[in-house]
Amino acid sequence: MEVTAEKVATAVSNVAAARGKGTLPNVMAFARALKELGVKVSLSQVLDASRSVELVDIAARADFRALLRANMISQKEDFPAFDMLFDCFWREQGYERVPMETMEIQGTPTDSHAQEGGDEEGGLEEAAAESVPKENVPLENLDEFSVPTYSPQELMNRKDFSEMSVEESRAIARAILLIATKIATQISRRKKIGRKGNVVDPRWTMRKSMKYGGEVIDLVHRKKRIKKTKVVLLCDVSGSMDCYSRFLIQFMYGLQNELWGVETFVFSTSLSRITHLIRTKDIVNALEKISGSILGWSGGTNIGRSLHTFNRDFAPSMATHRTVVVIISDGWDRGDVSLLEREMQDLKRRCKKIIWLNPLLASENYEPLCKGMQAALPYLDMFLSVHNVNSLVALGRTLQKMVA
Amino acid sequence: MNPNQLTIDKVQEILLAEKYVCDRALATVVYLSLIMGKPLLLEGEAGVGKTEIAKVLAKVLGAKLIRLQCYEGLDANTALYEWNYPKQMLRIKLEEVEHGDKEKVETEIFTEDYLIKRPLLEAIQTDGANPPVLLIDEIDRADMEFEAFLLEVLSDFQITIPELGTITAKHRPYVFLTSNRTREIHDALKRRCLYHWIEYPTFEKEYEIITTKFPEVENKMAQQICAFMQKVREMNFYKRPGVAETLDWASALIALNRKNLDDKTVVETMGCVFKYREDLHHLREQIEGRQLNLDALLRASPELVS
Repeated sequence: MEVTAEKVATAVSNVAAARGKGTLPNVMAFARALKELGVKVSLSQVLDASRSVELVDIAARADFRALLRANMISQKEDFPAFDMLFDCFWREQGYERVPMETMEIQGTPTDSHAQEGGDEEGGLEEAAAESVPKENVPLENLDEFSVPTYSPQELMNRKDFSEMSVEESRAIARAILLIATKIATQISRRKKIGRKGNVVDPRWTMRKSMKYGGEVIDLVHRKKRIKKTKVVLLCDVSGSMDCYSRFLIQFMYGLQNELWGVETFVFSTSLSRITHLIRTKDIVNALEKISGSILGWSGGTNIGRSLHTFNRDFAPSMATHRTVVVIISDGWDRGDVSLLEREMQDLKRRCKKIIWLNPLLASENYEPLCKGMQAALPYLDMFLSVHNVNSLVALGRTLQKMVA
Repeated sequence: MNPNQLTIDKVQEILLAEKYVCDRALATVVYLSLIMGKPLLLEGEAGVGKTEIAKVLAKVLGAKLIRLQCYEGLDANTALYEWNYPKQMLRIKLEEVEHGDKEKVETEIFTEDYLIKRPLLEAIQTDGANPPVLLIDEIDRADMEFEAFLLEVLSDFQITIPELGTITAKHRPYVFLTSNRTREIHDALKRRCLYHWIEYPTFEKEYEIITTKFPEVENKMAQQICAFMQKVREMNFYKRPGVAETLDWASALIALNRKNLDDKTVVETMGCVFKYREDLHHLREQIEGRQLNLDALLRASPELVS
């Protein structure tokens, strides 16, 4: 959520009633205002914050700020919201004069919040957001984990990415992250199965041999830990492919906790590595920024040359037998097709699997006729579509099988 | 040193005495963490001094530093304890030859004598006047499963070993966690901790760091180094250099007896600052193409009153 001065003022006035004398009520009110701005704070954090207030001379404003921040904020992306609220909330005695026009909202802060969310972020965001605690529900409810739900939005899930409006795509972007995280946790559960394997587990072998007086009769085996797969994303960001690539990058970002690492590249006429630029929670905005700064974003395509750059400069260190290379492109190549074929062959030799995603595959009478696509086809392990949310989920499951 | 006598100023002072320059906000957070006995999660880019602060603190507090370096696949056995199997086996064999009491052996081989302590157990069991400093380094490299396990240990500071019973910490260790943010840490763990993000230092702070660590450095060159580092951190490199790189570079330049930075020196010694081929290549291009103009940069750098 974008934090504006207005929202901060509203949040402060909404919690004005909860404020009182002494540290604890004020710190709690502050935490509630933070919550209204979309920052998660748990009850234990609030209690610790008010406990630590006694340890520091709060007349020193900077120290007080550092204290509250260390206790209540646990990711740096929330710093701006915190700082704005801090300045507004702890204004000296300023809080008694609540602006009149915001007084009405004061009675039902929770309802207004929910509506705001719905209007601005679209329905999906609301469905995915955690429930807002009611007035008399203890703050502990904030701890509850929100489960991404996307079923009420079936239509949305089938809608092609390229047909979405700006608001829709923003809402979808958040939902995609949540779905990806959900799939990721399922992957990790799968790995726990099985105690048979090729490595001897000394701990259990020892325990079992006790009954034979320490003579080792049964060897207990343990399954080797499955090494996670590494994924390299090569995203076509030329003209028509731009929007699909964005969603794919967001989706893979959500999965990255469970993969051994995702390296992200974008290409159109040339190739750029953007892994380091999207290591942030606010990936939607990060992508906006990158697309502005990279030359040739939304321009023409030269797949062969881009693959050549990848194979020459990056593949030696990044593409191994544990790497799945995911290419997203419609295959419309303006470069040399024989170069493309050579590079695909080279890439195929280096990595474990190549998945090609093509949004055009969704249309019923699509045939991979364009030369670029035809040249690449023999080297692919999988040829999938990625035109909507459902197809991304299918991709997630496919990767899941490869990892496990 | 007893943490109860500390103040925020004092924290800053004793860290500086050990040549760790830290700003007021970081000192406040460290102070709170020591007093409240709450773990401190430090995040920031690589090489900004996350690990260093725990090491320095252990030194000034006169506490034992116990370090757990996380890696992919780290599990409870490696972090907590392990039975000494060969020793147990030998004991059993020995008793067999001497026709010892089977029951007795069974209980005896599961006593502390046969236990190998790993960092977490060690941190909880440490004797002595001072609680130890437990540094859990690069937690983002460990798996989610390990994080959940850590959560359990950090909330109660006790460990249950089925054969021995529950061991509770005599002193709560001072816990520091660091993360490079290659992935997100779970909220539940974050909530148990105080949080601080260490930024790249400002020009002034970096200058102070260099002159504190290397009092022999020429003032002018220290400023040049800082100006250069500030500039390259704004540029588009794959791996932006941290303070660790600054210090490496400064010490290299001092060893080479350089008093002044110029293009040639920079290119020659760049291996201290950039560790990727693409980055080195990019830098050389920038310098040759005059996009990174050292002279202009040096002229524009803020004047410091020394």
